Amino acid sequence: MTTLAVSPLLSESVGDFTKPSIEYFDLSPLLIIIGVALAGVIVEAFVPRRLRYVVQTLVAVVGTIAALVMTVFVALGLEPRGDNAGFGAIAAEGAIAVDGPTVFLWGTILVLTLISVFLFAERHLEGGVTAFAGQAAALPGTEAEREASTKGLEHTEVFPLMMFAVAGMLLFPASNDLITMFVALEILSLPLYLLCGLARRRRLLSQEAALKYFMLGAFSSGFFLYGIALVYGYAGSMNLGDIAEAVSGTIGADPLLLGGIGLLAVGLLFKVGAAPFHAWTPDVYQGAPTAVTAFMAACTKVAAFGALLRLFYVGFGAARWDWTPMIWVVAILTMATGCVLALTQSDIKRMLAYSSIAHAGFILTGFVGLNAVATPGTAELTSLQAVLFYLVTYGFMTIGAFAVVTVVRDSSGEATHLSRWSGLGKESPFVAGVFAFFLLGMAGIPLTSGFTGKWAVFTSAWQGGAWPLVVVAALLSAVAAFFYIRVIVLMYFSDPVGEGPTVVMPSVLTTIVIAVGFAATVALGVVPGPVLDLAAHAGQFVR
Amino acid sequence: MTSSSASLFPRLAEEGGHAVPVIHQVPADGVFALLWVIIALPALGAAIILLGGGNRTKGFAHLLGCATVLGSFAISLVSFFALLGRDETDRSVGQFLWTWVDAGSFRADMALLYDPLSALFLLLITGVGSLIHLYSIGYMEHDERRARFFGYLNLFVAAMLMLVLSDNYLGVFLGWEGVGLASYLLIGFWQHKPSAAVAAKKAFVVNRVGDIGMALGTMLVFATFGTVAFAPVSEVAGEAPTATMTALGLLFLLAACGKSAQVPLQSWLLDAMEGPTPVSALIHAATMVTAGVYLVVRSNFIYDYTEVAQTAVVVVGTVTLLWGAIIGCAKDDIKKALAGSTMSQIGYMMLAAGLGPYGYAFAIFHLLTHGFFKANMFLGAGSVMHAMNDDVDMRHYGALQKAVPVTFLTFAMGYLAIIGFPGFSGFWSKDKIIEASFGESTLVGLCALVGAGITAFYMTRVMLMTFFGQKRWEEGVHPHESPKIMTVPLIVLAALSVLGGLLLFGDFVTDWLTPAVGAVAHHELAFAPWVFSLIVTVVVAVGVTIAWLTVGRNEVPRTAPQNVSFVTRAARADLYGDALNEELLMRPGDRFVTGLVGFDDKGVDGVVNGTGTAFAGMSGTFRKLQTGYVRSYALSVLSGAVLVVVALLAVNLT
Amino acid sequence: MTAVQVVFVLLSLVAVVSALLVVTTPHLVHSALWLVVTLGAIAGVFLVLAAEFVAWVQVLIYVGAVVVLLLFALMLTRAPTGPQPDLTVRRWAPAAFVALLVAVLLGATLVAGFQDVRLDLDQAVVGSAEVTGETVFRRWVLPFEVLSVLLLAALVGAIVLSRLRSEDGDD
Repeated sequence: MTTLAVSPLLSESVGDFTKPSIEYFDLSPLLIIIGVALAGVIVEAFVPRRLRYVVQTLVAVVGTIAALVMTVFVALGLEPRGDNAGFGAIAAEGAIAVDGPTVFLWGTILVLTLISVFLFAERHLEGGVTAFAGQAAALPGTEAEREASTKGLEHTEVFPLMMFAVAGMLLFPASNDLITMFVALEILSLPLYLLCGLARRRRLLSQEAALKYFMLGAFSSGFFLYGIALVYGYAGSMNLGDIAEAVSGTIGADPLLLGGIGLLAVGLLFKVGAAPFHAWTPDVYQGAPTAVTAFMAACTKVAAFGALLRLFYVGFGAARWDWTPMIWVVAILTMATGCVLALTQSDIKRMLAYSSIAHAGFILTGFVGLNAVATPGTAELTSLQAVLFYLVTYGFMTIGAFAVVTVVRDSSGEATHLSRWSGLGKESPFVAGVFAFFLLGMAGIPLTSGFTGKWAVFTSAWQGGAWPLVVVAALLSAVAAFFYIRVIVLMYFSDPVGEGPTVVMPSVLTTIVIAVGFAATVALGVVPGPVLDLAAHAGQFVR
Repeated sequence: MTSSSASLFPRLAEEGGHAVPVIHQVPADGVFALLWVIIALPALGAAIILLGGGNRTKGFAHLLGCATVLGSFAISLVSFFALLGRDETDRSVGQFLWTWVDAGSFRADMALLYDPLSALFLLLITGVGSLIHLYSIGYMEHDERRARFFGYLNLFVAAMLMLVLSDNYLGVFLGWEGVGLASYLLIGFWQHKPSAAVAAKKAFVVNRVGDIGMALGTMLVFATFGTVAFAPVSEVAGEAPTATMTALGLLFLLAACGKSAQVPLQSWLLDAMEGPTPVSALIHAATMVTAGVYLVVRSNFIYDYTEVAQTAVVVVGTVTLLWGAIIGCAKDDIKKALAGSTMSQIGYMMLAAGLGPYGYAFAIFHLLTHGFFKANMFLGAGSVMHAMNDDVDMRHYGALQKAVPVTFLTFAMGYLAIIGFPGFSGFWSKDKIIEASFGESTLVGLCALVGAGITAFYMTRVMLMTFFGQKRWEEGVHPHESPKIMTVPLIVLAALSVLGGLLLFGDFVTDWLTPAVGAVAHHELAFAPWVFSLIVTVVVAVGVTIAWLTVGRNEVPRTAPQNVSFVTRAARADLYGDALNEELLMRPGDRFVTGLVGFDDKGVDGVVNGTGTAFAGMSGTFRKLQTGYVRSYALSVLSGAVLVVVALLAVNLT
Repeated sequence: MTAVQVVFVLLSLVAVVSALLVVTTPHLVHSALWLVVTLGAIAGVFLVLAAEFVAWVQVLIYVGAVVVLLLFALMLTRAPTGPQPDLTVRRWAPAAFVALLVAVLLGATLVAGFQDVRLDLDQAVVGSAEVTGETVFRRWVLPFEVLSVLLLAALVGAIVLSRLRSEDGDD
């Protein structure tokens, strides 16, 4: 390197401008979602208020379904590429890799989004309005707030905001260079920060959550950016493929690279809620409106793990032995933190938050597993497939569980304190039964999707030689069973405290969400074959 | 333990002539095509009853529950005779159902294996299961939630059948968790009793510890052999390194300890008696608790290659058989006394299974006879409780032989069988185990022999306190015989308890099991077998006599005396099993969690807990708390980042 | 030393000295104004390095928008305009330490990453508006366009959080 002119950042030659090639078909799911978000903004501006809720919901649902359909078409059109058993192509001038894993993750995120939209649109539980603040600008406890609630105001902006976040989530695991990845990270985060602060009830808690999430999120973004800078300094490129080449061409370790890996990892591990970067999770999950929590817990984790996988397998794949010990430590810490601290939680949402931390740890276990490059169809169970599968199972269970949380209520809104859940089995055997099933799924009891998911990640980790990690994970998953069972015991074997909780009959929307979550948890436990197959056929990342 | 094993058990070192059986499956045709129905019937019953809801199925749930299990029993019986008609080499029938998990080489099928071993288990589970279902119709008649009870029972039967029919470890694991869940639901069936809820939770948790062994073992099997199915593993088992086999053996032993209530995971079984008595009979005596023995015997192709694990199994079995027997001596609760006895008898089976080819067949034989006589006695105990207004304290019984004659007679058959009265089923099965264990080592043999004596003592004590002596009934108790629906199963089981020994006639059971577990090996013994039988009988007689002298001749106080020996006190407290668990496991765990939580509360969680509880005046304190704590979160992120980077650099740049 | 180098050093000095003044002056408003000087000097440095586009962006956004925003914030929050002796003396040591640490870290990164890179000023085209424009609209077109989505989302969010609806409620 002698002159800056070779820098790929600004490497285009001066002269006639050629139009960038954008593969509109390959990118159509992403573009549709962005379009839906923009349409939502326009609806907000021009449609009369009383119609907005219906129109926004329709736009979001139809748009998500359209994106899902296009995802299927994109998936069917993927071509084999390169010699590493991957499908797909690099699109948008190298910014995006539309490959098997990308399409799989897109599909997962879009399906989860679709049912989350239903949760967002639920109006029955709050007596005719959504669970979001009627007037976010009104200070809690003021006259303006009371006025807003008596007039039945509601923020329909949540739908476009959600779609903005989804756009970021779609872009995140697909991004093929670090700049795109960072932009995606910000796009998915910013609307979530906002959504977290929009709860109708317990607004101070909600705003506190939003502020915490925002500040810590910005803080971790800083780490991510600095990591990008270090890696750019090392590789001279932002492109993951180029970085991979630089990494495999290096002999010995380079502090610049290692520092970059570490800092990028911090940014991503923060988003997935891995210890010791998990501190925000319980507070935010508890404070945010439950619909947002469900959406965030499921979709963000899927997207962030997708990005983590791509970055580490594609970009730093050759430096695998350098970062694997670090992931081991983080995985153990994460599982331990999640499982142990969940034991003493007294709030159901916090408990689920810690449970989600524990799940992040289990996924990380799979992450360090076997990473064989194999031919599609006959592939080993690679980490990639195991993790992809686990993410699907986790997403459905989580949204389902949080959906149940929204229907257990008392006079002050959702009854999230665990003591309010005692005796629920007598009050409403059906809801309690469904929730118990989700808990059993999370605990990993066979014939639920949780078992097959755990089995998949543990096996891939074991095959990859990480058996001590698997032993620790198995031990901790036994500990985890404690707190899930604790809730079941509480629901079935304890007497109600005071008047006890009441289960409010939700509208058909939430019912669908719970039903879908339940069905997926059963189906993926009994016949996980098709989805595992699909994950296996997704092949490797391309670069 | 392992280092001294060579001198303690010389037999294990010189093994070699025995051929470890390899499973060759033949496709399922004819009646065997119906194998899956055996599981599907009770599963369907459970689904209909549980999903249909208690009220809608109230009218027919008990009939449906019995019908499904009886149907399974019929198919099992037909299949058994069909298998009997086959050549010895064709007696392993495999039925492929569907591919459960398939991702490249990671493949697990939902497939069934019907061989002599599973055939016997099927008969036991569906046969005894049917009887207990019938009995429950009467026993649970006045229970509001009888429909649900039958739903759970069916669920249990389905899971247990899955466990013994699966052709791979993953399927076994599925059944394993399924029976655990059903057992949990049934122990806690009487939700209104807090003790039941606690017992259920304890059973679940202790079992999870065992399940870790099962899960890790299954994974290790897969990692070693690339498959989890029994047949391919049994083919190549000899080529795997011994260390791996030892690890596998120990992991499966851990699993077996959890499920079969063996020391050190024994503590849950006594508490599990909180469940309805038919549950105790079916799950916690006849079937589920023997799953551990099944696992060890089924994995014979693993244990045959690892002396260390075999030795461990022997040690666990020996310790448990004494442990359970001692506990059985001190319990006044009739069900708990029987539970102690169950532990002890399963200890015998484990001991036999640990002897390898010398004992596999006898372990299964004892398992079958025990299934008969213990189910018989539990149901008898249930019948007695039925008569005594659900009182379980034997000190409130006495002189019941006139009041409940059928129960008394059937119970007596079970009693004679368990103590090993010559001619009864238990005599044949236990005798063989004691004989084989003397071949293993004199120490183990003596322990087994002493255990037989103690068994005779505590069972005689139960017998005397319940049916003989003075009336010590509570006020207003009018014992009466149970209805026919309860006594008929008792009579059938009593007959089986008496006649179960016939299975050994002409070495039927050992020959039958040969394809699955290998031929029985025989030790050179110091005495002829009949001498052993004589010795055992004498020891049993001594036990009975002591019981007669201490319990039978004296007045039994209505409340348990407190000024008793240390041994009695220890036995009453389950030999301090719980205290030990608590001291060694729970306390440090609690402290650890409390510490962590304290840290989390003070350092991290304070804000939310504070705001959550104190809504009033929140806005004032809100901002103050806010700044401080985001800062501390950020600090944790920062230190985490520093940790990550430093660790990366330190690992890679040294 | 060529003329360019002399200018570079001078501009750097101005940037460093004014940056120090930003954090040491007791006047809040002065601090903001010194920031203008710092940022302007840095824009000059960019210009000297032939990065004309970045230089103008620096002037437009940082000097123009950011500092103005800062001043507005000072005015709207009615922050004291007079000198505040306690503004800069508390905890200066740890702050200085952190600043030094960051400087060392960034410096080390730059040196480690670009130590053998030399810029040929005569033929340098990397920083021109033309090259930047071409790259942004070709190689980086997707992230660039998507960033506008981010801004829109932020805008929507700002409206949601701050705007009280009118009384009749039919906006």
